[in-house]
Amino acid sequence: MLDPKTERLTIERARRGDRDAIAELIHAYQRPLEAFLFRMCGKHELAEDLAQEAFVRVIKSLDRFDDQYRFSTWLFTIGKRLLVNAQQKMKPTADSEVVEYRAGDARTPLAEVESVERGERIANLVEIAIGALGSPQREIVLLFHQQGWSVQRIAAELDMPEGTIKSHLFRARRRMLFAIEQSGAPNPGEVLR
Amino acid sequence: MNIFGSAWSPDPERQPSSRAQRLLVRALLALRSEARAHPYSASDRARAEALADRIMLELPRSVLPIGLAALFIVGVVCLMPLMRDAIAEGTEQRAVPVASVMEHGIRSQGAALSDGFEAMREVVAPFAAGDAPSSDADGSSERTPPADATAFSRS
Repeated sequence: MLDPKTERLTIERARRGDRDAIAELIHAYQRPLEAFLFRMCGKHELAEDLAQEAFVRVIKSLDRFDDQYRFSTWLFTIGKRLLVNAQQKMKPTADSEVVEYRAGDARTPLAEVESVERGERIANLVEIAIGALGSPQREIVLLFHQQGWSVQRIAAELDMPEGTIKSHLFRARRRMLFAIEQSGAPNPGEVLR
Repeated sequence: MNIFGSAWSPDPERQPSSRAQRLLVRALLALRSEARAHPYSASDRARAEALADRIMLELPRSVLPIGLAALFIVGVVCLMPLMRDAIAEGTEQRAVPVASVMEHGIRSQGAALSDGFEAMREVVAPFAAGDAPSSDADGSSERTPPADATAFSRS
């Protein structure tokens, strides 16, 4: 992530067609955007494609960018819109895939977690926690815990009162806790080492 | 239907275990690390560069007009002296009246004709001298025919 001043200067250079500035913007935000989109849709390839498309659109229309907002907010908004459009075209949706995966008794979360490496165990744990959330809690949790956005910024972006965001975060954490508990997740010692 | 939707109960007595809480904290930390862009990651940088190249190839519409405008300005500035000279030349040519040009032409033609007359006069002068009435009225001086004329005998 770039600090606001560096971000503004980099955007100015990118507006003038500076290729290196464009590469810097992409390098700073590609990974966070892909991580966000992946956790929203559950598909790596789709997340990568959508992130790339979001960058192409954003950089092509940099002239229309209002400096009073953060670049990342604009980028994530466009990425999210692209995801919504893609999900409308594709069936089944990510949520139903997660349900099917979790419901399959041949691959219970416990059996799966026990058979894979520690990194994959953690990834499964995250998947279980995030998979328990619906809209808009998933997005709020990702923006807050994954992207590190403030409650104020999320409230402004989602056009919701700050109190509602806090309430969603509280409920989402409880929902994730119970999902982890019910999933029969491994001994914390194995994951928390 | 989301099977985890029913997992959360509003029942305040039903509290999650500390084990689940620790796992959730670990999951959230892992989630946070997913979004961190590593400044020295070569693969991430290569991907960013490749995408930047692709975007530059497509040439942003916002940059193209600015570039063209700059090119046009440079072209105009470079051509300015040439255009000024061309305009000045054109103005000078227009300032010469047609009558002057014609007069000049006639004068040069006249001069050429005069030269021609002079040349002819020099050629015919020796012949014309014999026919011309002599200034010697008393006939004391003997007329000498031209050299060419002596070649033919008088009959």
